Order: sequence, then structure tokens, then C-alpha cells
Amino acid sequence: MNIIETNNLTKTYGDFTAVNEISLHIQKGHVYGFLGPNGAGKSTTMKLFLGLTQPTGGSFQIDGKTYPKDRVPILKTIGSFIEAPAFYGNLTGEENLDIIRKILGLPRQSVTDALELVGLTQFKKRLAKRYSLGMKQRLGLAGALLGRPPILILDEPTNGLDPVGIHEIRSLIRSLPQQFNCTVLVSSHLLSEMELMADDIGILNHGQLLFEGTMEQLRQTAKANGFPTDNLEDTFLAMIDDDNRKRGQIR
Amino acid sequence: MILLLEIKKLKRTGCLPAFLGGAVLAAAFPLLNMLVRSETFTALPGEPFRILTDANWQMMAMLNILTIICGACMIYHTEYANNGAQKMAVLPVRTYQIFWGKFAVTVLALAGMLLFEIAALELCAMHWFPDYHLQLTALAKNLCFSLIAALPTIILMMLIASVCQNMWISLGIGVILVFTVSVFPKENLFLSLCPFNSPYQTLALAAQNGSEWIFTLICAAETIIFGIAAFIFDNVRRYFL
Ligand SMILES: Nc1ncnc2c1ncn2[C@@H]1O[C@H](COP(=O)(O)OP(=O)(O)OP(=O)(O)O)[C@@H](O)[C@H]1O
Ligand SMILES: [Mg+2]
Repeated sequence: MNIIETNNLTKTYGDFTAVNEISLHIQKGHVYGFLGPNGAGKSTTMKLFLGLTQPTGGSFQIDGKTYPKDRVPILKTIGSFIEAPAFYGNLTGEENLDIIRKILGLPRQSVTDALELVGLTQFKKRLAKRYSLGMKQRLGLAGALLGRPPILILDEPTNGLDPVGIHEIRSLIRSLPQQFNCTVLVSSHLLSEMELMADDIGILNHGQLLFEGTMEQLRQTAKANGFPTDNLEDTFLAMIDDDNRKRGQIR
Repeated sequence: MILLLEIKKLKRTGCLPAFLGGAVLAAAFPLLNMLVRSETFTALPGEPFRILTDANWQMMAMLNILTIICGACMIYHTEYANNGAQKMAVLPVRTYQIFWGKFAVTVLALAGMLLFEIAALELCAMHWFPDYHLQLTALAKNLCFSLIAALPTIILMMLIASVCQNMWISLGIGVILVFTVSVFPKENLFLSLCPFNSPYQTLALAAQNGSEWIFTLICAAETIIFGIAAFIFDNVRRYFL
């Protein structure tokens, strides 16, 4: 069953198309890895899901609800982290999470849980603006995980984390579907991590969807097209390179 | 609930000290005026409270407006400085509720300021005019009138601060508006109803012209209109992001 489905979703800025008629199918209980070079449109797609920006064309459904009619009900089911951590610098880590908790109407305990989950318990009384880069990132993740929402949208969650942190977050994301029947849409440039984490993969280039399917399907497609299949990184590089070359010819 | 959250967000921002400072400064003005040249005023004919407001309210209202501008900028700066606004936008809360929460916080803060300032005027009246007696109903009326007169300014300033993500731009717009409006003639009813100009009006002056009800009603209407504008902006801002 698809919990997130898009239908020719498009976003243009002026005459530039950031997201070009993409149709994604994200299955419930899966970890969906979203790949693509810088500027491919990954963050823009995620922002569209969260109603942070208005689509220019196409539509999408999340958990059976359509945007923009059900914007608030959709947001109730999503925990998200987009690009950079968003927080109140004048509040402590704990106070930041408490604001989110109150809006979501969760019990007090959930803040303690989320802090523990991302390893910030020790620093919960420190002002968020005094956090280190990785600590801010962890705070953003805690905000997304608060209350264990059924859908998680994580944009480069491991950006700026130390190797231990990256490992922890990967294990956490990996365990979420089994533990809480959670669906995760995650983007990252760490392809080795993605390979260990994702069930399904979507590859974007210049706003267009190059591939969507399981890891196994990706290998088969790559083999059929004569791309290397040893690891995700080589396959990805060859695929993007090939697509860019084709685009060059069209122009 | 949203009001409590908005108050919580202002922790350690210096907003409360700013409003408090504005109130103290404005309240000190009539006090200083009386300390330095009380004879000028005690010699005047007429009602003591009226004499005091005529002498001081222009300056006090200006301080109030400047405090509102600073307050609005600070309140929205906390929202935009570390992108907290984006986090709010992806939570299941309607963003115009946040606007109303912030507006309510500012109105409450200004109500506190006005109470403090009008109390200072009353104290001056009681101290320097021996025949004067405190009238609580008059005090309450003045407070309500001044608060309503300030509502259009507050909501317009909140709207400006919410639109401009850079605090310095909203601050600049606010200050420019204050000085633009300060050259408007005060006698013209139409011009005195403009946001950033209406807080200079006093109940006594409006009552003298028989316009106190028109004045309050139109200020309330302006507030609703700017409120609707804020609501509309909130719904279309997604198209520009
Ligand atoms: N507000 C905007 N106005 C104009 N162009 C924009 C805007 N936001 C994004 N873009 C453009 O849309 C394209 C896609 O951006 P997006 O942030 O989605 O990329 P991304 O895939 O997340 O890249 P990265 O891996 O660097 O995070 C980029 O070319 C970017 O410049
Ligand atoms: Mg991005």
C-alpha cells in the first residue's frame, strides 16, 4: 500500500523547473531513500509534501489525504526535518521540544524519550543557539521523532553528525518500521549509508525521476543498462552521468 | 494555549524588559515635567487629568508606538532568527493562529504599559492638584480608549514584522511610518485615525469633538481589516516560497 503517492508533481520557480512531473510511490512501512545530486529537487519535493511551498502542477496524497484540503491532518501524521535544523535559539533544547510537544498534544514523557533517543539528554538545559552543529542536527531530529509519527520525512538527517552519530541514526531509521510501523522518506548523499538503510530507492536528476524501485530492481536495471552494480555509489554515479550526457545531446 | 506558547517563546529575548523600559520611560515623562515646572500646569484652568494629558500624552504615545515597533520586531525576530518559523509551519497548527497569539501578547503588554502610564498620570494629578480625586471609572475608560486607539498600530506593525523576515527592515519601516505620520495635522479626524497616528488621540480630546465612539469603532474596524489582510497573506505566502 502506498502511503505517499504523487501524480506528476511539479514545482517551477519562474522559468526554472525544480521538480518536473514526478510520480512517486512510497510504500507503508518502508524506508524510501531519495537520491540525487545537489539541486536535483529532493528538498523541494519534501517541502511540497509539508506544504512549505505550493505545487505548480500535479497532486499528491499522503495517507489517503489530499493537499491542500487536508493540510493540517496531513501534518499531524508527519514528523519532519528539512535541510537545516529549525529551532528557537533563545530556548534550551528541552524547551524547544516542549513547544512542539504542546502543539502535538503529547505527554511530558515524550520529550525525555526524544532527547534520550538522539543522545541530547546531557545537554538539554543548554541554549539551542549554543549547540554545536551536530547537536543542533540532533535537536532537529528529536523534533521530528517526537511522538513517533507514522511518517517521517528526513532531509539529510546525518549531515554534520560524527561517525558514531551517523551509525546511531542509521540503526534508528532502520529499526523504526519494525518497531513503530513507521514509513521513512530519507534523503542523503552518503550512499553507503543509504545502501544499508533503504528498502526502496528513488533517484532524481534535474527535477526528473530517473529510477524508482527496490534495491534489487535497481541492480537489475543497472545490469541491463551496463552500469556497474558492485555498490550503490558506482551505480548512482554512472546513472547520473549517463542522464547528464543524454541531456547534453538534447540541448 | 497558543497564547501561553507564544509567551514561552519570548523567554530570554529581552522583550519583557523592552516593554517594561518603554512603560517606565513614558511614565517618567509627566513626573519629570511636573517636578521641573509644576507651576506652569497647576496655574492652568480646567480639569487636572486633562491638563496633564494635554501636556504629556504626545510624548508618551510616541514612546508607546516606538515600544510597539521594537516589541513586534523582537517577537518576530525570535521566530525567524533560527528558522523556528519553519518548524511551526510543519506542525499541525494554523499559522495565522501564531499571528493572533503574537498579537495578543503585544496587546497584553501594551495594556500593562498603559495601566502603568495612566496610573502615573493619576498620581501626578493627585499629588500636584490638591482638589483632585481619583476616579476609577474614568481611569478604566481612558485605559480602554487608549488601548483600542493603539490596536491598528499594533496589528499593522505585527503584519509588517511577520512579512519581513529581516528584523532591520521591519524596524526601518516602522520608524519611517512614525515620522511620516507625525507631520500629519492632529485636528483632522480622518488623518488622526491612521495607524501610527491614532495612539496620539486622548479620550478627553475625542470627547471634546464628540468623536469618541466613531473613533473607537473605526479603530476596531481597522484592526479587523488588517487582521483579514494578515490571514490572507498567511494563505498566499506559500506561493512565494
Ligand atoms: N525559492 C527558490 N527560488 C528559486 N529557485 C529555488 C528555490 N528553492 C529552490 N530552488 C532551486 O530548485 C532546485 C532544487 O533545489 P533543492 O533544494 O530541492 O535541491 P536538493 O536536491 O535538495 O539539493 P541538495 O542535495 O543540495 O540539498 C535548485 O536548483 C534550487 O536552486
Ligand atoms: Mg536539499
